[in-house]
Amino acid sequence: MKVLELNNVHKVYNTTHVEVHAVNGVDLDFEEGEFAAIVGPSGSGKTTLLNMIGGLDTPSEGKIEVNSTDLSTLKSSAVIDFRMRNIGFVFQSYNLIPVLTAKENVEFIMNLQKWPKKKRDERTMELLKAVGLGERAHSKPSQLSGGQQQRVAVARALASKPKFVLADEPTANLDSKSTETLLDIMEKLNRDENITFIFSTHDARVVKKARRVITLEDGKVVSDETRDK
Amino acid sequence: MITKTAWKNIWRNKTRSLVVIASVTIGIFAGVFAVGVMNGAIDQRVDEVLENEVSHVQITHKDFRSNNDLGSYITGVNSIVENISSMEGVNAVTSRLHLVGMANTARKSAGVKIIGIKPMQEKKLLSLHQELMDGTGDYFEEERGELAYIGYDLAKNLNIIRYRITGDVISKLDSAGLPGEVISAITGFKGSRFDNEKSFKKEMRSLLTSEQESGFGRLILEEAQTFRKRAKFTLTFVDRNNNQTGGVFRVGGIYDIPNSMFESTMVFVRDSRLRSITEMPDNTAHNILISLDDVDDAGTMTEKLRKEYPDLEVMNWKEIQPDMAMMSEMAGAMYGFFMALILAALAFGIVNTMLMVVLERIKELGMLTAIGMNKKKVFRMIMTESVFLSLVGGIAGMIVSWIIIRITSSTGIRFSSMQEGFEAMGFSSHIYPSIGADFFLVVTVLIIITGILSSVYPALKALKLDPADALRTE
Ligand SMILES: Nc1ncnc2c1ncn2[C@@H]1O[C@H](COP(=O)(O)OP(=O)(O)O)[C@@H](O)[C@H]1O
Ligand SMILES: [Mg+2]
Repeated sequence: MKVLELNNVHKVYNTTHVEVHAVNGVDLDFEEGEFAAIVGPSGSGKTTLLNMIGGLDTPSEGKIEVNSTDLSTLKSSAVIDFRMRNIGFVFQSYNLIPVLTAKENVEFIMNLQKWPKKKRDERTMELLKAVGLGERAHSKPSQLSGGQQQRVAVARALASKPKFVLADEPTANLDSKSTETLLDIMEKLNRDENITFIFSTHDARVVKKARRVITLEDGKVVSDETRDK
Repeated sequence: MITKTAWKNIWRNKTRSLVVIASVTIGIFAGVFAVGVMNGAIDQRVDEVLENEVSHVQITHKDFRSNNDLGSYITGVNSIVENISSMEGVNAVTSRLHLVGMANTARKSAGVKIIGIKPMQEKKLLSLHQELMDGTGDYFEEERGELAYIGYDLAKNLNIIRYRITGDVISKLDSAGLPGEVISAITGFKGSRFDNEKSFKKEMRSLLTSEQESGFGRLILEEAQTFRKRAKFTLTFVDRNNNQTGGVFRVGGIYDIPNSMFESTMVFVRDSRLRSITEMPDNTAHNILISLDDVDDAGTMTEKLRKEYPDLEVMNWKEIQPDMAMMSEMAGAMYGFFMALILAALAFGIVNTMLMVVLERIKELGMLTAIGMNKKKVFRMIMTESVFLSLVGGIAGMIVSWIIIRITSSTGIRFSSMQEGFEAMGFSSHIYPSIGADFFLVVTVLIIITGILSSVYPALKALKLDPADALRTE
């Protein structure tokens, strides 16, 4: 089943001096259950592309359909709501609310969606266990390592059972051991629960784990390979 | 959840939040306390006017207030007094004679108003007899006709009060705990006498340092003052036939109230004595004073008496002392304005802090929008944070004010160094701050409104953030 479709997507930033063509005509399809990496050097348009897919940014041209919904037809408030229900986000840093514990961070979205407490608690603990942090539920972000924080962020991204998770360079600030743990967890969730992951990276070790690798250069897709694993 | 997060967010930067909260607390306290002092002073002044000076309603001859003429008197006073006394809501009634004249001692003289009163009746209306200074007499207890009840300031002006440092005074001051060097300094002028306050103060200034003087000068002055009991003085005035006349009187008591104007002019003597000197006919008076069970009925009682006595002039205390009435009526608006000013200043502090908060948390706010927190909720979170800041400070300020006003309203606050200035305006320098429950309520509501208003702008700023841009900020 197709979860995501991009048609001739462009993004032009008008800065005071020059026009920056950050994304330059991208056509892509994603099926449910994919584990895809978007790779490319810094400035190639990875973040811009992920932001547009997630509805944080709007394309200057072209169409993005998530679950057959054209994001450009939604009002901005509806986009936020749509995002909350359908898309999980993990960023490179600043993922967590520093004043809340790991558990409260994961719960946050479920709270906004007014889940009943019992269901919320169950799901939160299930997710924290899935990312190997069942024991650290009551730790504040400042008491967790960078890798642990990213795992909490993954758990939170999955909280509202989204169709897919977008992760923008989730391992950029992690050491290689934490990187490996995080990717193993993501892979396991992908395999066991059929969650679609689309993540950007410029780390070769991360690329190795992906089953599909899309390479961007100057805002254009220069290669798109699927490997069997 | 949002409320809880907002509350926790406040404590991310403890120092900054505490500084904001403390400034709100101090600002509110300063405002409320200042209002309490002003309000207490005004209330006391109004009470003073009602209890010692004016009573509630007065009746005079139509022309008396404009010409102050001895001949503009009310006739048939006894039946008027009797009639009004029997009216519902009336506490007591008395009549007075009024004339303008001079008070003279051997060396000094002063212009005064001479009031002929029926002392035992006056006591039922006013409490001026309770302001009698210790040891100066006994009001009109004694049946002597020539007694007069005069003010402290007039007694000083007429040199009836003098100053002497005796061994007795020194040992009293010593046991009052004055420092040794002050005692030894004043021992230097033991035995000297002073006719008036001015020369005594001049001497004191030469003996004491200014610090010692401001600390103990008043106490020394009070201990050193002496008066001859039943000191003689004369009152002169013109009688009904425009002949210069007068009589010898003796001080039967000195009263001390916070109104120096009143103190230096109002001399009270017996109605019977004044009547016989001036040859005023019986059953007449210049002025009828009425005190009511409830001062709030003054307006309606005035109307009623106007209908009953259309030929006389009836006025209530607000009409007699319009400045006083206006002051107590405008006070509320003044306090409101004053508090609004303080709250506006505090609002700027809160807005400023919250703008800093939004700026610092741009990236986090972007992240929150990205994970699905909608604008309404972001707005609410920032708003709740600012409202918390102002409410915590505001409530603390209100509690502190309430406690301090509770304490000072029974002990009072002495503004000794400003005593003369205060009393010149008729205000006591010993003020008992007071605040109405309604004012507390209004201020609390104002604080909440301020908190909400000052949170809107920062919260709007947070709304305007573009999540993609916010996430890119470093
Ligand atoms: N808000 C913006 N305004 C102007 N230029 C931008 C903006 N955001 C990104 N860019 C530019 O777009 C290009 C792509 O950036 P980005 O998507 O962040 O690439 P990557 O994530 O691959 O490093 C870069 O040249 C970047 O400078
Ligand atoms: Mg990037």
